Amino acid sequence: MWGGAGVAAEDRLDAAETRHVLRRAARLARDQRSTMLATVGFIAMATATTVTGPLLVRHGIDAGIRANDRGALGVAVVGYVAVVLIAWFGARRQYVMVNIAGEGFLRSLRLRLFAHIQRQSLGFFDRHQAGVLISRMTADIESMSELVQWGLLQFVSAGILLSVAVVVLTVMSWQLTLVALCVLPVVIVASVRFQRDSNRAYLRVRDRVGRNLSMIQEHLAGVRVIQASVRTAEQRRRFADNNDELLDAHMTTVRISTWYFGVVEFCGVLATALGLAAGGWLVQTGRVSVGTVVAAILLLASLFEPVQQLSQLYNTVQSATASLRKMFDILDTEPEIDEIPGAVDLPRSGDLVVDGVGFTYPQTTARVLHDADLHIVDGERIALVGATGAGKSTLAKLVARLYDPDPDTGSISFGGVDLRRATLASLRERIVVVPQEGFLFNGTVADNLRLARPSATDDDVWAALRSIGVAERFAAMPEGIHTEVRERGSRLSAGERQLVSLARAALVDPAVLVLDEATSNLDPGTEAEVERALERLMEARTVVVVAHRLSTVRRADRIVVCEGGRIVEVGSHDDLVGRIDGRYARLAQAWEANTNTSAG
Amino acid sequence: MTERPPRAAPSRGTVRGVRSTDWSHLLDVLRERRRGIAAAVVLGVVWTGGKIAVPSLTRVAIDRSLETGSTAVGWALWIVAAGVVTGLLTAGRRYLAFRESRTVEARLRRRIHDHVLGLHMGFHDRSQTGQLMSRMSADLNQVQMFVVMVPLTVSHVALIAGVTVVLLVTDPLLALVALIPLPLITMVAKRFSDAIHPAVLAVQSEQAQLSSVVEESISGVRVVKGFGAEQVRLDAVAVEADDIQRVSLDAARVRARFLPLMELLPGLGLIGVLGIGGLRVLDGAMSVGELVAYNFYVTLLVWPLRSISMTLAFGQRAAAALERIDEVLSVAPAIVAPSEPAQLQASGGGLKVELADVHFAYGDATVLHGIDLTIDAGTSVALVGGTAAGKSTVARLLLRFYDPTAGSVRLGGIDLRDLDPDDVRRNVQMVFEDTLLFHDTVAANIAFARPDASPADITAAAAAAGADFIDDLPEGFDTVLGERGYSLSGGQRQRIAIARVLLADPAVLILDDATSAVDPAKEHEIRSAMATAMVGRTTIVIAHRPGTIAMADRVVLLDGGCIAAVGTHDELLRTEPRYRAVLADDDGAR
Ligand SMILES: Nc1ncnc2c1ncn2[C@@H]1O[C@H](COP(=O)(O)OP(=O)(O)OP(=O)(O)O)[C@@H](O)[C@H]1O
Ligand SMILES: Nc1ncnc2c1ncn2[C@@H]1O[C@H](COP(=O)(O)OP(=O)(O)OP(=O)(O)O)[C@@H](O)[C@H]1O
Ligand SMILES: [Mg+2]
Ligand SMILES: [Mg+2]
Repeated sequence: MWGGAGVAAEDRLDAAETRHVLRRAARLARDQRSTMLATVGFIAMATATTVTGPLLVRHGIDAGIRANDRGALGVAVVGYVAVVLIAWFGARRQYVMVNIAGEGFLRSLRLRLFAHIQRQSLGFFDRHQAGVLISRMTADIESMSELVQWGLLQFVSAGILLSVAVVVLTVMSWQLTLVALCVLPVVIVASVRFQRDSNRAYLRVRDRVGRNLSMIQEHLAGVRVIQASVRTAEQRRRFADNNDELLDAHMTTVRISTWYFGVVEFCGVLATALGLAAGGWLVQTGRVSVGTVVAAILLLASLFEPVQQLSQLYNTVQSATASLRKMFDILDTEPEIDEIPGAVDLPRSGDLVVDGVGFTYPQTTARVLHDADLHIVDGERIALVGATGAGKSTLAKLVARLYDPDPDTGSISFGGVDLRRATLASLRERIVVVPQEGFLFNGTVADNLRLARPSATDDDVWAALRSIGVAERFAAMPEGIHTEVRERGSRLSAGERQLVSLARAALVDPAVLVLDEATSNLDPGTEAEVERALERLMEARTVVVVAHRLSTVRRADRIVVCEGGRIVEVGSHDDLVGRIDGRYARLAQAWEANTNTSAG
Repeated sequence: MTERPPRAAPSRGTVRGVRSTDWSHLLDVLRERRRGIAAAVVLGVVWTGGKIAVPSLTRVAIDRSLETGSTAVGWALWIVAAGVVTGLLTAGRRYLAFRESRTVEARLRRRIHDHVLGLHMGFHDRSQTGQLMSRMSADLNQVQMFVVMVPLTVSHVALIAGVTVVLLVTDPLLALVALIPLPLITMVAKRFSDAIHPAVLAVQSEQAQLSSVVEESISGVRVVKGFGAEQVRLDAVAVEADDIQRVSLDAARVRARFLPLMELLPGLGLIGVLGIGGLRVLDGAMSVGELVAYNFYVTLLVWPLRSISMTLAFGQRAAAALERIDEVLSVAPAIVAPSEPAQLQASGGGLKVELADVHFAYGDATVLHGIDLTIDAGTSVALVGGTAAGKSTVARLLLRFYDPTAGSVRLGGIDLRDLDPDDVRRNVQMVFEDTLLFHDTVAANIAFARPDASPADITAAAAAAGADFIDDLPEGFDTVLGERGYSLSGGQRQRIAIARVLLADPAVLILDDATSAVDPAKEHEIRSAMATAMVGRTTIVIAHRPGTIAMADRVVLLDGGCIAAVGTHDELLRTEPRYRAVLADDDGAR
């Protein structure tokens, strides 16, 4: 399981794990394989100049200058020009190709990750802060785009450069090469130690980035409350602390990598010195020519930068691995609510049966529903009433399988099919819940309605608004249903927001419609209008309404009273209201009192 | 004062081709960190010295050993010494460069955060959380990467300058040949940076759009699940992901057009040196060692020149990012304290609230058309009206979230614009229609407006708000709530929000539909606590339930942004058909 908060011991990335993560990433990038191959080809072409250059210089010196042959010198010069032109062509292509491959990979990673996050059940979202999940989709992936854009290019070109240079060096003079490459073990040892220390540091960075974004998100979402409570200064101070922690995490990685780059740089120069010393001796003893030594030293000098680049890149790879690891953690989290193999479609209609269901929210211990039994016949209208916190919304969410009942308890079925055995597509089509917290997305009113049915035309949208009796209201807006509602619908009043989220339900044609206080922010006048209009919508389907208003409740066929997570009374208004000391009777009294002007 | 045009609104598709980058924010922060950055630059320049020493030593070594026939071991030792120095300097420069760039990033992030948190609501209404988040993450990241390159680039420039000098001193003519590429590279670089800027801006803008879509989808997941709309949101993300891919390919095309030129032009110098230098050696005008050293120097130029082209690319990204950051930072807060704010006379009995001919428009749409209303200190008013009548807007004006377009809002006889907004908000507290709780303990959420409140006060406020359920939570008042308080039921959240304002003990209390999700029985209970809370303060309740409305001394009926009637509940019920319509009194529900 994925531990969102805190860097747990499991957050260590050892070498084997790094390899595993990278291998898995490579598998994900399979689609890009041919593009990548082509890319490598072009990079190789572009890299050619750096390698062939010194060789041509050697030719110029040995065959031209020292042999006093102007022709050979000319050949070297012309050859050099040709090589540069080829490299130029390769370099042009490489930039485009590497982008196609890399961004293609990131795109598929984005979509995969997002689709997977969305498949998770609500329990997952209760556990994880939105900001952290967002950081996985944004900051983490962007941190990889660095690798993809420059890293891949540098990696391949430096790799090619290094290996070709080593081969050329060896061919020119294996003795020289052997001496110069004495520094290699030092580089390897340094790299291994560096990797060991840095992976943990990078995981901590990813973690802190997530927390930082979470706080930013919370502050932006809550800015009204923060300002109204005059908490701006205090929240700024808290953010400063959070931000310092992120800085601290970054600084740890900086400290770890500092010495490493010093060592690598030193090794580069050391190789030149060794080459020179050995070369001098080899020339004296007549084993190699001066030109060879010169070319070798030039090559060693040009090796020196790629080695640096590679070690820089190592940093990027480490940080990308940490990002990938965090993403794989999500991809590995199986949704708690998922389709079982061999799931069946729910029938078009049927009874909704809640049978002995108990429920505990994930990661809590207290059961909030106990042994709930309820048989709702097809087409019936049920009102759920009860005190706040009684479990009404919870029951509503279970009926739509946003959560599953506790395993050792009963089941919920529709038309005789246990919801856990149903296909998710048919489930979402048959049972629709308008949650207590309406949520509007950026976009127009129409876009927001279409969330429920993407294929709906403007006419369908108007029809849906008419069916809840509020079309004129939106027609009166300057741009009608094409009015931008802005983030969270901030352009609309609370009541208008609720109307939009209610109208969504009118756009779909579910067998079971669950309305969780879908009209609580409307004035009673509008509410009555909406309810009159809804009558038609509610015909011929099963409706479960959670409501705090007598007018709504009275119209239900049966009323279900919840208390402390139990269903305590079931019956029609007339049945229940007359019960001496009944719970519903008491509730009804409270309602009366509420409507009674002399109360308070 | 009117709403400042929302220049900062990072709306969809903010891609502006014009360059008007304001670097002042970055420069400010860089100035604060000048010591570290200067140190990094100095180390870098010294490092350059080390780098230049190596080819010089090589040249001397080759010439001497060819002349004298001795081995080059002694010289090699010198080179090793130079290696030790450059190694140490690299480490130092890198450390400083990263330390400073990360610090700069962190400071800028704080600056943006602090600025945004203090901006007026008009700004927040229009901006998208995801967009702003992206300013504080992706965009800052670009800035950080650029700042890291600054010391390195300075030392590379120093290297180029040093090499140029050495070349000129050794052989002016050959130096000219070797340096031909420099002006060409500069020209290409200029054109490159012009061309890449809009492309990079587009990439960053698309990333921010993706971030917005993702943010919304995750925050609104309860609705997405309720309607089974996962595919719709996935499609929206796919659109943004495709956009990113498309614009980033555009940017890559620009890079492909210019960067190879910049990388390969130094090769021209090498060729020139080989050809012309070779001829001069043949003519005896130059030693082989000199030619090799020359070659070596010109090679030394290759990587710095390449890396400068890279810095340019990073610089462009940083410029684009800074431009987007500047869009936010340059928004001046529209709601600010006057230079000499008036002092509210806090009396024990609440404050008088007056709206005098208040007009208000959100942008173009006028919502309030001349509201005149006086609420005496210590009295209460119920604001009643249909959906979208403008009730919440009135409440927001009282908190000075916005300033009226015409007319004035007065508190205790003083125009709000003459007061410090913080002072206003300490005295006017409101329960919002949509409750928002923070990811913190129950106690901290209740004490949000009064962090120094004692546990006893917190408990008392919770009790007054009817939040008795807190005792049943696993850790009582220390229970940490889920994000936005989603681990509580709707009514439970509202009661925490009510406790929050009761604890703040304001002179003016506004309840905006604060009990819509509270069941009637509970509301009835809370009401008596409310009645107590209303004593000694001015109260405005926005409500739809007659029982709650009747608690107020007077009822004000809002209709279409105007005051339609004022009176007691009973009076209005008798005389005002519009009032009866709003309360659906013909419904016979009593
Ligand atoms: N996501 C969650 N995680 C943990 N506990 C939760 C969560 N959501 C609700 N609860 C708890 O479950 C209980 C029942 O909550 P529920 O939302 O079902 O109440 P409700 O009857 O709908 O109340 P209201 O009328 O206030 O909306 C409450 O005690 C609440 O604190
Ligand atoms: N931030 C905003 N930008 C633009 N228009 C807005 C904004 N907020 C509200 N409006 C518009 O102003 C009008 C009044 O809104 P307001 O929120 O004051 O209504 P209300 O009386 O509180 O209604 P409700 O009972 O539904 O909450 C509505 O038409 C709404 O569309
Ligand atoms: Mg509920
Ligand atoms: Mg409102």
